Amino acid sequence: MVSLERIQAPRFRFLVALVPMASGLAGVLIANIPVSILGGLVPAPLFALVPVYFWCLVRPDLMTPAVAFSIGFAEDILSGGPPGIWTLAFVLTYALLARQRDSFAGLSGFVAVLGFAAAATFACAVAYFTVAGLNLLSGLALPPLVPIVSELMMTVLFYIPTTLVVAWLHHKLVGASRSDV
Amino acid sequence: MANAWKIARRSNVQLPLILVIALAVVVVLLGKAQGSLFDRIRAHATDTMAPVLEKLRGPVAGFDRFVGSITEIFSVYEQNLKLKEENARLRQWRNVAIVLQGRVGRYQALLHAVPDPKLNAVLARVIGRANRPFLQTMILDAGRQNHALPGQAVMDARGMIGRVYLAGQRTSWVILLTDLNSRIPVSIAPGNVQAMMTGDNSAMPRLELVSRTVVLHAGDQVTSSGDGGLLPAGLPVGTVVSDGAGGWRVALLADAAASQDVEILSFSKAPETPPPSAQLPAEAAGLKPQAPPPPAAPAAGTQANGQMNGQINGQTNGQIGNQAQGQSNGANLQSNVLANAQAKPKPVAPAPAQPADSADAEDEDR
Repeated sequence: MVSLERIQAPRFRFLVALVPMASGLAGVLIANIPVSILGGLVPAPLFALVPVYFWCLVRPDLMTPAVAFSIGFAEDILSGGPPGIWTLAFVLTYALLARQRDSFAGLSGFVAVLGFAAAATFACAVAYFTVAGLNLLSGLALPPLVPIVSELMMTVLFYIPTTLVVAWLHHKLVGASRSDV
Repeated sequence: MANAWKIARRSNVQLPLILVIALAVVVVLLGKAQGSLFDRIRAHATDTMAPVLEKLRGPVAGFDRFVGSITEIFSVYEQNLKLKEENARLRQWRNVAIVLQGRVGRYQALLHAVPDPKLNAVLARVIGRANRPFLQTMILDAGRQNHALPGQAVMDARGMIGRVYLAGQRTSWVILLTDLNSRIPVSIAPGNVQAMMTGDNSAMPRLELVSRTVVLHAGDQVTSSGDGGLLPAGLPVGTVVSDGAGGWRVALLADAAASQDVEILSFSKAPETPPPSAQLPAEAAGLKPQAPPPPAAPAAGTQANGQMNGQINGQTNGQIGNQAQGQSNGANLQSNVLANAQAKPKPVAPAPAQPADSADAEDEDR
C-alpha cells in the first residue's frame, strides 16, 4: 500500500487533487449504469452527492464549485433527464454547504446523517422545482413527487456505506491537511 | 460570510461560486433550447458504454431471475393451473381468429381495400434500464446502423412498450409508455373512441378522452390510433381500467421491467401533402373548372345558384384566393343542381361537366 506521505509528495499532489472529482464521477457512473436490479422498482441513489458533500466540508480546496459543476453535468448527461437539472442542483447545494460549512462540519453520528439528508433534500427540491418550472413554461403537467422522494430516500439510505468508502479514500489518498495543492 | 462565495480560500485561479451558478442556469436554459445537443452527447456516451453494458447484462439478468424465482416458487402450483386454463381458452380463440382472419381477407379482396402498410422490424436486446426521477427508459443494442430511428415504436411479444427517442450508432434509448413525457394517441375498442394516453411515471398511464360524452368500460381494448403518422395504427397497448376517481387508465400488456428482447418497428408513412392551389378543388375532384357565371341571373333557380355559389365561393376564397373561385364553382356543380331542383318546378338541364355546356344550360334557363 502506498503511504500517505509518499502520495503527498509534490509529484503526486496533482493526482491527489483529482481524487474528489474522480470519486464524484465514479458515483455518477455507478448510479447511472442502466442496469436495474429489482426490476427498476426503486431509483438509483445519487451516489455522486456524497463526495460533493464530504469533500466540500472536509477539503473545500479540492471540492471546488467547478468540480461540483462537472459532477452535476456528468449526472445530467448520463441520467437522461432534462439537461442541466442536476448541474444546478449540485452547484446550489454546494453553495448551501459553503455558506453553512461550520454548521454541517460540526455534525457527528446520527445527526451527521440528518445533515446529509438536509443537503440531499435541498438538491432534490432544486431539481424538482426546476423541472416543474420548465414544465409549466412548456404547458406540461407537474412532475410527480413520488419518484423524486424515492430517489431522496435511497440517497439517504446509501449515505453511510458510500461515505465509508469516501472516508477511506480520503484517509488513504487525500489526507486531512488543508494542502496547497 | 462573503468568503463562502469564493471557491478557493487559498487560490485565486478558481471560478467564483456565483459565476458557476450562473453557468448552471445557462446550462438549464441551453438544454431547454438545444436539447438535441445533449442528446447527441448522451447517445455517444451510451455507444461507448454499450460493450460494458452487454457484459453486465448477463449477471444482472441472472440475479433478477433469481430474485423473481424466490417469490414465485411459492405459487408454482396455482400458476400452473391458471396457465393450463388460459392455454385451453387461447386455443379456442386461436381457431376463431384464424376463421376471422380468412373472412377479413376475403372482404378486403372484395372491396379492393388498401392493404395495411408493411412494417419492418428490427430485433433488439435490452441492455439496460434506468428508473430515474424524471425519466423511465430502457436502452437497446440497436442503433442507427441497424436502422433504428427516433420515433419508432418498440414492442415486446405482448404489446407496445414505448418508442425510440434517442438513437446512437449502436444503441438507442426508449421512452417508456409510463414515462411522464410519453403521449400516445390511442383508439379504444369497441366504439373506436379516440384518446390520448399520457404517462405519469405510474405503472398505468392515464387516458385523456378526446370526447367527454363517450362511456368507457373496464376491459376495453386500447390500441395505437396512428394519428399523426408517427406510429402505425392497431398496435396492441393494453386494456382500460378505472382509477377509482372517475378517470380511466390503461393496464399495459407489455412488461417493460421483464422484457429481454424487443422489436423496433420501422414505420414511415409519407405525410399527407395538399395538392397545389391551382388544382384545388375542382381538378382534385376529377372535374374541370367551370367558366364564371354571367352577371345577369333573373330566374329563381339562378338566384339559388348564386346564393349557393356565393356561400361556397366565400369559403373557398378564404382558403385558396380569388384565382380558384371559378374552379370551386365547377367543383360544386352537384350542389347547384340540387339547389335548382328545389327552387324551380320546371325541368332543369342536367349539370354540365364542361364550361361550354354550363353556358348552354344557363341559356336554356333563360
